[in-house]
Amino acid sequence: MTLEFAIRLTEILTGFAFIQQSMEHIFAPKNEQILFIPRIILCVFLILGFETEWVSLALMALALLMLYRFQGPYNGGSDRMSLLLLSCLCLVHFLPEQSWRELVFGYLALQLVMSYFISGWVKIINPEWRNGLALNDVFRYSSYPVSEHLRGLWNWPKLLLVMSWAVILFELIFPLTLISQPTLILGLVIAATFHLANAFLFGLNRFFWIWLAAYPSIIWLQFRIFDAF
Amino acid sequence: MGITSVGKVIHSFKLLLPALIPSWRFFDVIAPSPRIEFTLLETEDEAPVNWTEFRPRPQRLSVIQMFKRILWNPHWNESLFLVSCAERLMAHPTEHSRAEIQNRISRDLKRNEDMDLIQPYLQFRLVFLDRQGTEIKKRVMYMSPIHQHIENIV
Repeated sequence: MTLEFAIRLTEILTGFAFIQQSMEHIFAPKNEQILFIPRIILCVFLILGFETEWVSLALMALALLMLYRFQGPYNGGSDRMSLLLLSCLCLVHFLPEQSWRELVFGYLALQLVMSYFISGWVKIINPEWRNGLALNDVFRYSSYPVSEHLRGLWNWPKLLLVMSWAVILFELIFPLTLISQPTLILGLVIAATFHLANAFLFGLNRFFWIWLAAYPSIIWLQFRIFDAF
Repeated sequence: MGITSVGKVIHSFKLLLPALIPSWRFFDVIAPSPRIEFTLLETEDEAPVNWTEFRPRPQRLSVIQMFKRILWNPHWNESLFLVSCAERLMAHPTEHSRAEIQNRISRDLKRNEDMDLIQPYLQFRLVFLDRQGTEIKKRVMYMSPIHQHIENIV
């Protein structure tokens, strides 16, 4: 995969992810609509590939206005990934040297890997994650389960212990999937399934779409590093 | 561009920094979890008695509803934003976080209730749930000022 193709794919996926996010504000108060309706229009240009460097820059300016409007990310980690993606897209368009552009896109890929690895690391060093109690707490009293019925899963400690270890091990092992393209694709399919499960259980739908948008960067990086050998 | 505008730009860039160098510590510890409760009052001096949970989650969701929410989930995402506001209100209290919660309660009331039946004063509180040993404990950690909300619906 060439850098140009990976960037183009990232633009298209980011455009769709941003449209999904922005549509959710379409019936919001006017002071939100005024930010999200122009964002939808800009994303259509981004998907179509029209003046993408200036469109990315305009989206970045809107993103700063949104950060100010909500005094931080509206939707936590998914907004942080959105901002990271957008910042990297802006930089790759305006940096003069190919090697600098590769560095920026590589940084995005590295952050994607870190998003899994660090999440796994902070869990494995926490005894309450290792014995399943933390995931039990997530279902029992956190704000995330989407229905009261789902909360009942806290009564299944053995299942939650298995789920905890499955998540921890997958997140920690993820960097190793970079050793070959088939293992990386397998890793990304599992990761996407994990995000889909989070969207189902915890309503974190925006994470699913925006993490998918970052996947071309890691596929490109794997190709860039291992193609040399 | 005035000093205030420059300040806003600098502040926005400060808010951008954690996205450029993210920590990615998802669910590292399960912190006490906020619930927003509100009460409606007839007068500014009335003592609050009955508290109602704001946006309690549904009892059940069908698989089809869960599928739909992959594409369209504004209500839930707004609720998660209010969870962030509640957490911010405890960590670094600001007028912004208080107003976001208050305005969205007012807006929901306006949408869902008969306006003639709504009392004019609104107060909300933040109740945090936490596990202590095997028990779940509830603690009221914040009480908002009483606010005349009907005139201030956005």
